[in-house]
Amino acid sequence: MGVLIQGDNVCKNFGGLRAINKVSFEVKEGEIFGLIGPNGAGKTTLFRCITGVYPATSGRILFNGKDITRLMPHETCVLGITNTHQVVKPFPDMTVLDNVRVGAFFGRGWVQHEVKDAAKEAMRVLEFTGLAHRASSLARNLTLPDRKRLEVARALATRPQVLLLDEVVAGLNPTETDMMIALIRQLRDNGITIVMVEHVMRAVLGVSDRVMVLSFGEKIAEGTPKEVYTNPEVIEAYLGKSYAAGGAASQQINA
Amino acid sequence: MQVQEALRSWKPWVGLLFVLFLLWVPSSGIAGGYLQTLCFLTFLYVTLSTGWNILGGYAGQTSFGHATFYGLGAYTTAILVLRGVPPLMTMPLAGLIAALYALLWGYPCLRLRGQYFAIATIGVGEATRLLMLNLDDLIKNNTWLNGFLQDGVLTGGATGLMLPTPENISSYAVGFYYGAMGLMFLALLASWWVKNSKFGLGLFAINMDIDAAETIGVNTVYYKNLALMLSAFMVGICGSVYAQYMFYIDPQTVFGFPMSIAMVLMPTIGGIGTLAGPILGAVVYIVVQDRILTANLDIGTLKLSLSSMHLLLYGGLLVLIILFEPKGIVGLQQRLARWWKRRTGGVMARKTT
Repeated sequence: MGVLIQGDNVCKNFGGLRAINKVSFEVKEGEIFGLIGPNGAGKTTLFRCITGVYPATSGRILFNGKDITRLMPHETCVLGITNTHQVVKPFPDMTVLDNVRVGAFFGRGWVQHEVKDAAKEAMRVLEFTGLAHRASSLARNLTLPDRKRLEVARALATRPQVLLLDEVVAGLNPTETDMMIALIRQLRDNGITIVMVEHVMRAVLGVSDRVMVLSFGEKIAEGTPKEVYTNPEVIEAYLGKSYAAGGAASQQINA
Repeated sequence: MQVQEALRSWKPWVGLLFVLFLLWVPSSGIAGGYLQTLCFLTFLYVTLSTGWNILGGYAGQTSFGHATFYGLGAYTTAILVLRGVPPLMTMPLAGLIAALYALLWGYPCLRLRGQYFAIATIGVGEATRLLMLNLDDLIKNNTWLNGFLQDGVLTGGATGLMLPTPENISSYAVGFYYGAMGLMFLALLASWWVKNSKFGLGLFAINMDIDAAETIGVNTVYYKNLALMLSAFMVGICGSVYAQYMFYIDPQTVFGFPMSIAMVLMPTIGGIGTLAGPILGAVVYIVVQDRILTANLDIGTLKLSLSSMHLLLYGGLLVLIILFEPKGIVGLQQRLARWWKRRTGGVMARKTT
């Protein structure tokens, strides 16, 4: 499995605030890469650096070996990186089908001539994501779980190589969460690399192959889900120093 | 099949009848050519408001500076005609110059979002008007130009430019009547095409959520500029027609802020972002303007000229539209149609049971 996205000492400053500090990472082809961390750790900012909404202050981001640090979001989309938004952003006065048609018309699939008929492609994606029955309703009339699905469907219609999912299960109930996770697994099985930011630990640790933990803009751990949630530094970042010390102590006693 | 089905409905026949009526108007001489002038102006304003609607309605970028393009179109034609170029040949050039000027300020201004873009366009519109007002003086007193363009007038400053009138004025006006009608249908065709094309889908996406559009591959800067240029091209051609029809232009009329406001008002009244909205809005605008500009109140001792009241009326209308029906007349029609369907639907249901 080759490296698809490579971050090299990525930094992002907002004025005097350093939101991301020298984060290096590798996303491998075909994996589900989890990105976790407490609130304000810089997860979404890192996403935006990758897609190009905010260009990184310093450092480099490579995609398939090509430097994408300074590219605009529509340019990275055409190369094969698309993201979904934490706060869903449907086109409210368009039908669900038209929402997805925009992705099919302007994404990588169309530019690479993989997609010939945008409406047909949109319908295929809607069937895949289980939204086909709502195709002709206006996006503004969808429920939150359906909007989250629409967000994924629209991104999928661009035929991405890498899909960046920003908290797609936040706000969903356990059943809806399980359905969304099943969808994410299905996407991976179809050859799409997934990078996901998530607060719902059950979701992200259950589905990820590898996890990276950010805290205050710095990378504090990386590894399999199991390695990460037994890492004392991670426990400290989430639950505080005393809990981490206590946890470590109790582990020693048990061992 | 679809065509046959459409022919069974009454709508295309009424449309055809209306077009035939419009074609007959000049030869009819109704109201001594008054109706002809009114219709000509309506054609021109429908084209203007359709042009504005591509940027302001479809792409959602509200421009208060479209008089710039109207004026540039008018001045391009006037300046070239005074230098011996055949008037009709100046029309595409007027559109092109307006479109190029649009690109010049559109590229920086379209980086602004929402109301900030609108404010910037006000600035651009006024700056262009003042530039055209003073361009002759700037050229005359400029030693760097070294004699270039310094004999005769270029823009004529505040006095404007006068064009030579043709001998047979009435057949000239009839020609322009049909010309403006054709232009209007071309503009509507272009608007319809944009609305149903990939280009239009991108514009609607930009209108509804520009960040989301960008992340799924819409090159928002490119598409917004393209929409502005197409819009400016259409408005520029209208300016050219105006100059040829009126034989006289000055900066206050063609570059004036009221002209920009008119272009915002018409689609807003009719239904912003729809195909039919700009048509309805322009008709309402022209008729209201025409009726009120010449109206006087004379009740007992109270004598009042209503000639400036149309602005008050538009203001009130705008407030009502924004508060109650943001889609204007088209929205109102849709609401009525839904209500009617519910009512008659209920009646049908009762009849069958």
